[in-house]
Amino acid sequence: MRGPVSADGAPRRPRSGPWWATGLALLALVLLASFMARGDPFTQRLEEDLRPPSREHPLGQDKLGRDVLSRLLYGARVSLGVGISVVLISATLGLALGGVAGTVGGRTDRIVMGVVDVLLAFPGLLLAIAVVAALGPGVTNVVLSLSLLGWTGYARLVRGQILSLREREFVAAARALGARPVRIAARHLIPNLAGLLTVQATFGIAGAIVAEGSLSFLGLGVPAPLPSWGGMLADARPYLLIAPHLTIAPAAVIAFTVLAINLLGDHLRDRWERASSR
Amino acid sequence: MILRLLLRRCVPVLPRLFAVAPLVFFFLHLVPGDPVDVMLGESALPADKEALRLSLGLDRPVGERYFHYLASLTRGDLGESIGLRAPVWRLVASRYPATLELAAAAIVIAVSVALPLGIIAAARPGSLLDRASMAAALFGASVPSFALGPVLIVVFAISLGWAPVSGRGGAAHLALPALTLGVGMAGILSRITRASVLEALAGDYIRTARAKGLGRWRVLTVHALRNALLPVITVISLQLGALLAGTIITETIFAWPGLGRLTVDAIAARDYPVVQGCILAIGAGYVVVNTAADLLYALADPRIRHEGTRER
Amino acid sequence: MACAQYQRIRRSVNEFRPALGVLMLTSAVACAAPPPLAPLGSLVVGLEAAPTTLDPRYGTDEKASLIGDLLYRGLTRLDRHGNPVPDLAISWDAEPTRYVFRLRSGHVFHDGSAVSAADVRATYESVLDPATGSPKRESIAAIERIETPDDHTVIFTLREPFASFLDATGLGILPGRQLRPGRREVTVGCGPFRLASFERDTAIVLLPTVQPAGDAPRLPGVVFKIVPDDTVRALELSRGMLHLVQNAIDPDMLGWLARNGDVLVESVPGTTFHYIGLNLRDPRLGILAVRQAIAHAIDRPAIIRHLLKNHGEPATGLLSPQHWAYAPGGPRYGYDPARARALLDAAGFPDPDGPGPQPRFRLLYKGSSVQARRRLAEVLQEQLARVGIALDLRSYEWGTLYADIRRGSFQVYALAWVGVSDPDIYYSLFHSAMTPPRGNNRGGFADAGVDALLEATRRTPDRDRRAELYREIQGALASQLPIIPLWWAPNVAVHTTRLRGFEPQPQGSLLSLRRAWLDPGTDPAAADALARRAPTKG
Repeated sequence: MRGPVSADGAPRRPRSGPWWATGLALLALVLLASFMARGDPFTQRLEEDLRPPSREHPLGQDKLGRDVLSRLLYGARVSLGVGISVVLISATLGLALGGVAGTVGGRTDRIVMGVVDVLLAFPGLLLAIAVVAALGPGVTNVVLSLSLLGWTGYARLVRGQILSLREREFVAAARALGARPVRIAARHLIPNLAGLLTVQATFGIAGAIVAEGSLSFLGLGVPAPLPSWGGMLADARPYLLIAPHLTIAPAAVIAFTVLAINLLGDHLRDRWERASSR
Repeated sequence: MILRLLLRRCVPVLPRLFAVAPLVFFFLHLVPGDPVDVMLGESALPADKEALRLSLGLDRPVGERYFHYLASLTRGDLGESIGLRAPVWRLVASRYPATLELAAAAIVIAVSVALPLGIIAAARPGSLLDRASMAAALFGASVPSFALGPVLIVVFAISLGWAPVSGRGGAAHLALPALTLGVGMAGILSRITRASVLEALAGDYIRTARAKGLGRWRVLTVHALRNALLPVITVISLQLGALLAGTIITETIFAWPGLGRLTVDAIAARDYPVVQGCILAIGAGYVVVNTAADLLYALADPRIRHEGTRER
Repeated sequence: MACAQYQRIRRSVNEFRPALGVLMLTSAVACAAPPPLAPLGSLVVGLEAAPTTLDPRYGTDEKASLIGDLLYRGLTRLDRHGNPVPDLAISWDAEPTRYVFRLRSGHVFHDGSAVSAADVRATYESVLDPATGSPKRESIAAIERIETPDDHTVIFTLREPFASFLDATGLGILPGRQLRPGRREVTVGCGPFRLASFERDTAIVLLPTVQPAGDAPRLPGVVFKIVPDDTVRALELSRGMLHLVQNAIDPDMLGWLARNGDVLVESVPGTTFHYIGLNLRDPRLGILAVRQAIAHAIDRPAIIRHLLKNHGEPATGLLSPQHWAYAPGGPRYGYDPARARALLDAAGFPDPDGPGPQPRFRLLYKGSSVQARRRLAEVLQEQLARVGIALDLRSYEWGTLYADIRRGSFQVYALAWVGVSDPDIYYSLFHSAMTPPRGNNRGGFADAGVDALLEATRRTPDRDRRAELYREIQGALASQLPIIPLWWAPNVAVHTTRLRGFEPQPQGSLLSLRRAWLDPGTDPAAADALARRAPTKG
């Protein structure tokens, strides 16, 4: 019977429907365009500062006369690159720490979870700002600081999975039958984890892009001359009155990119949930 | 019994709070940079800087300063801002209301948008209305505040002139910043509301109510909603971290004189006492809100309220 | 049983709820910013940030001195050329180690007490007292003793000759009775305005005071309104909510303001000196030809024309032309990329691939994260790339930037010196012994000839002789290029056309507000206010 609830009683989320395909398409478009960009994001033409959109420069020019469209597309590479790096590092860290906490248990577990609690007790951005202030600016430092704060979600996930798996009866039965823990892990833990981690990672990329954008907006992110969406928005602030195109374009691009990733994540989560509740 | 509940929730948090203070202190001192340099700027002669450093007690070793700090903490003294020479607690207290005002307004906007949206979507699951509102919710949750804020300024403050560009003042000044902050939360809340209303609607007691002949809307609003509110409260308290992080950006965009901006400026100025004071204040705020949420939850859900009481 | 408990809890929550509501309401009301108590017709000046303190013994930032000019009087003040002229003192006798000041009579502090020599002495002694913790102590540390033979005479005896002593006598005088040992802020002066209120996030309100013999300000009040946002400052200026903003409007906005507001843009040559600092210990930057090449590679006119919208003048050195010790002369470095490339080739740094992307060498550039500075950094990066030098940019906020520069952990940086008035700063900047932490010679410049000249300037109180020495120093520095001068920034004041009698000063001083007034225009209420404050002298 179809209803608002699925078979095991969990509420159905809004079906992502065909939206996810839109998301994927948007994302692919952005990626493709960023690598095919034919304009030059770096050449300065001081005499043409703050020009509005024109034929050679469809989105106008910034204060140093650079082409906004090219910078946006190049910025996609930067933001997505940072996002993916952060997710890879935090997932690895989280996997390691969460795995250790879950399997070893006891004091180690309490320590790790204690650290997670403390880290989560404060707004992540604040800590990221402090870390970047300590380490200095630069792409590596941004990635490092965001990863240092991002691993907590993955650690909790992994640990939770390990703990719940332990309590499942069939595990006790399998152990009784002599199966080695590694084999149990391989057959049950990893498939579950893979799905969960993928979903978490997808949302994690969106989160990292927003976090990097926030840092760049505050002047603490990617250094010049690398274009960054957050940085472009920050640079546009003094010119809100005379060059609003410098604000609208990056804002739209970043909104749609994050939206696309979230749509994708939604879809992945739906598929995983349907798969796991079978 | 309420007291017992309070204690049970509060006590474990306190040691956590006190663990943070020394971490913050030492961490800040790892950060390169000297508040005196920031205060006096480049043009100052080094002798002036030395004099100022001496007068601020910055020449003493870190350990000694930490000890003094702890001692003054126990007395309730948060120290003095290095740059502004004002007591930290007064600075924090003067900025707290601004942040509270912003956060509260954001929550109000989020809740008043999310609840109706979620209910409408849940009332007809799978319909076009449902899909459209959930798509809007996702969009709201996706747009970062540093993108939304400036766009709102361009559209509503500059082009249309309906609201002031920035600063704190009356309700008009609150509109755009609260919107910037609240939209993200509204998006997330809508989806949660929809999900929990759907779950509540599937419960047995709902069927009983319907069987008894109660109208559909009454069932929806009175019964389903009350149950759906619980996860909403949880989500708000969980989202608090994101909200406070959001105030940092929003306060910067709108020149809002709140705690978030104070902290960021203090980090940039290496004003250690202020940063520590702010972090303690934020941590304390967390404790209060989480406890309040727990309390509300317990009051609303009899099962939790009675956990721990003996059988009579 | 459980039901009764439930009812009790319900009731207590119900009681709690209105209390919570009241609490939130009162906090919301308390949150609403209280309006500043400024009289109608007051001049509203926009500031991007509040000064940290207004006590003249502690205030070292630009805003503190701007407002301080209106609140306090010192023995002397500086004129537009940086020369000390009488303020509280009518005249003085200057000998190498002994200065005698004669005070004007009739000045009164804002608390009503008369200004006397005892107050001057008390103020200086307070600054000299280490317990006060004043950053200005070092500048008057040469004082051995202060004597006040009568109410109108102050005698300073110095331990050794200190040629710049007069520059330090601009210190605002405070009433002796209010000065206590330790760090306590005192904001009572004897200037044409007094401090009525100081709300750091909102506004600072000044009210006029009675002055001896026809010196009363014509403005009913001055409000320094804190407006941190660039766009808002411009908007409020255009709408008449702000009457005056100095050096805090983006150059690009000036054109918009001229078109969209009833304002006047006044620009006078200023003393703020923008430059590029170089670390001479670096093997490449230690070579003069390399430094010259960098100087030729920078297109200063283009930067000034486009980035600064012509609000700047290419600089030759630290001192700007209005300064009494300024001397032109020495080599100039115009925009000449071809010459720059030739110099680098000759210096042994050929370009490996001609016009291709490979640079001759890389340099690390550290700058502040302030937006205008980051823009400049990107432009410099581009211009140096054209001659084959790759600049790696790093932006830091002030704390880290200073720390790095002080440690010598830099190769290239760009900063500005604001408000240069005392040429003695050359000593701290360029004497070989004044490397950090002793002084500000961050690049490690060492030249025996310049050292000797600098030492000589400190020994001679004779103004003309010092000017001659500084002329030679400026010539030597222009030849050796330890720093690369960029431009002198003017003082750009944007104000409503209704403001009369305001004269922008090179140092940015607001002293002319002592005599300025606001033409009421079509505002009848303001006209009333002005009529009530008509000038007392004929």
